Amino acid sequence: MMKKLSGARIVIEALIQENVKVIFGYPGGAVLPIYDELFKQNKIRHILVRHEQAAVHAAEGYARSTGKVGVVLVTSGPGATNTVTGLTDAMMDSVPVVCISGQVPTHMIGNDAFQEADIVGITRPCTKHNYLVKEISKLAESIHSAFHIAKNGRPGPVLVDIPKDIQTFETKYGGKKHTKSFTFYKPNTKPSRDTIVEFVNLLDKSKKPIFYVGGGVINSGSRASLYLKKLLKITGFPCTQTLMGLGATPTSDDQFIGMLGMHGTYEANLSMNKSDLMICIGARFDDRITGKVSGFSPNSKKVHLDIDASSFNKSVNVDLLIQGDLSKILEMTLKYIENKKISFSKEKISAWWIQINKWRAKNCLSYKNSRSVIKPQYALQRLDFLTRHLDPFITTEVGQHQMWAAQFLTFNKPKHWMTSGGLGTMGYGLPAAMGVQIAHPKDLVIDVAGEASILMNIQEMSTIKQYRLPVKIFILNNRYMGMVRQWQELLHGNRLSESYMDSLPDFVKLAESFGATGLRVNKPGEMDDLIKEMIKIKGPVICDVVVDPKENCFPMIPSGSTHDQMLLGPNDKLEGEISEEGMVLV
Amino acid sequence: MAESHSKHILSIMVDNEPGVLARVVGLFSGRGYNIESLSVSEVDSDKFLSRVTVVTSGTKNIIDQIKAQVRKLIPVHNLIDITELKSFIGKELILMKLDIKQKTVLEVHKHIKNIGAKILFEDKTTIIIEFSGTPTEISGLIKKMKVYNIVELTRSGLVSMALGKDYIRR
Repeated sequence: MMKKLSGARIVIEALIQENVKVIFGYPGGAVLPIYDELFKQNKIRHILVRHEQAAVHAAEGYARSTGKVGVVLVTSGPGATNTVTGLTDAMMDSVPVVCISGQVPTHMIGNDAFQEADIVGITRPCTKHNYLVKEISKLAESIHSAFHIAKNGRPGPVLVDIPKDIQTFETKYGGKKHTKSFTFYKPNTKPSRDTIVEFVNLLDKSKKPIFYVGGGVINSGSRASLYLKKLLKITGFPCTQTLMGLGATPTSDDQFIGMLGMHGTYEANLSMNKSDLMICIGARFDDRITGKVSGFSPNSKKVHLDIDASSFNKSVNVDLLIQGDLSKILEMTLKYIENKKISFSKEKISAWWIQINKWRAKNCLSYKNSRSVIKPQYALQRLDFLTRHLDPFITTEVGQHQMWAAQFLTFNKPKHWMTSGGLGTMGYGLPAAMGVQIAHPKDLVIDVAGEASILMNIQEMSTIKQYRLPVKIFILNNRYMGMVRQWQELLHGNRLSESYMDSLPDFVKLAESFGATGLRVNKPGEMDDLIKEMIKIKGPVICDVVVDPKENCFPMIPSGSTHDQMLLGPNDKLEGEISEEGMVLV
Repeated sequence: MAESHSKHILSIMVDNEPGVLARVVGLFSGRGYNIESLSVSEVDSDKFLSRVTVVTSGTKNIIDQIKAQVRKLIPVHNLIDITELKSFIGKELILMKLDIKQKTVLEVHKHIKNIGAKILFEDKTTIIIEFSGTPTEISGLIKKMKVYNIVELTRSGLVSMALGKDYIRR
């Protein structure tokens, strides 16, 4: 006969059945029974973070670098509310995360009990779905459904809130196979053949095509990347990638014309603007990408491939929608091309490539280097050059350093670039790097950071030390919230309101106090030595790269402008004032 | 060129579970969509299904986006846009309490009868009437009854159904 198990034990057993190896969490009163069961087993490793927000970001890093579901375990009340930023981040960037939170016992719910928060209510808009488990009989199916929902369709975070009494009640658990699934969630993953035919026709006709590739390709899995690579090769079309899509296909490829969007390359944005066929694959026409929507790629036919129907026609109307799993869509497309023996004439698009190469020749990412002060772009170029052979995993915080990293680093494999795109969460990079390093203990993991962002989750240095994670933190220290200052210079009369930090920690001493190595560099000539030393050191390192405090991030499409109204450098002046419409945009 | 706004009646089949209405309503408020009328009740007690009827308005793009977003909610089984079907009926129920102290009872009764409303309750000072009809008919009724002192009224919100073979699947 099947033995009865406690709710807490069922949680652990269900996680084991979901093939969970690692969870990130922080204990507290309302999850003690689960932590007790965690103690009694050795199949799941628990990583004790120092703040629950970091647990979610670490789970995100783990998930994005492996393709698996990241798992978080936190207590009720503040433990749960601290996850909100992380969950929202995972929601915006479509990261599969399951967050299990403790809750006050069922009979106390609604009583304003100690450490009670209506976390299901609070996280309803920032999770893909959530559950409050009010009956022990629903516990196992809630957990298995959470995993099913988190990873299928467009991935996202799912929260399961488990009251403490449910954790101690007992019931039978027959494993995942014998748990009836109460979710009928079956997203449409198979595209219709007609749309594929139409798609190939459009590809065949185009003279000025562009592939606009987003993070959906990476989420769809490595097969999607392979198929896309093949499609790129067959067609010879240029390809641009979004911030989330970097590495979907190798960015060192000749057909890759750089990231697009607000800080994208001149050639990528102008190609979008002047193209006659835009093929959006797993991206969502985000406002950072489109600029002013009314002037967005005015003359192109637009094709949109995505798993999420709500991404279609949201901000930009497209001519052909293909809903489905990207790897299936791309596979069917390739098969159709092969069966019909369609060959793409490189001649038809040769004039387009000549034009693109003219734009490329502008060399829009160039900057004025200096012998006395380290330019942040230079620091990243050297980092890229000296680490590329190691295929490092890169995470970032949010701001100028993030954009420079996107511009100057090379991503030749998917799942090697973890950055907070949609939500723009400062403090994401360090805990995300932890999660990545846990998943890839032997690989080089670098958090490219700014000195402001890093302080938002700096407590995680303690976690890094505890688990001996050799994470490398590469701080581009300009003493400013650089992106805030850049906007203030551009849009607010150079009034630098609260964007300068008067007192910052000594990052070398800070590293040492956490038991890590701290390195500092001030001179461009010492840059290479610092990076080489950083790689050589076995443990965690904080590099304080003191950079030019006034450098700004270009190219830039000012808010409310279109792709052909880019600022290429500090001497490029805005044409007239930024419109009021543009001023209110973020 | 301003795109034209149009009114849409959405019929949504959902699991009748705690929080499901909050999910639907929260989606509307969170994304800035408008709810003009809302009605919800369980319609299948064996399968625990509720039917939500939302009247909303917007441009075609916004309506399409609303539908796509609602369909993404996990407890939503099905959504149909009744206004896009060939023909449909939409009805609302209103209860109205009148202060009749100042009027003759006979006159009031006559008026109510002419309008086609039903008297549910009456005592010396008040009358409660019930009326069901299209939203336009309901508004017309309220206008007509303004001659009396309307103490309070409540409307159920629109419920709607397509005619003929079109129906919402479970």
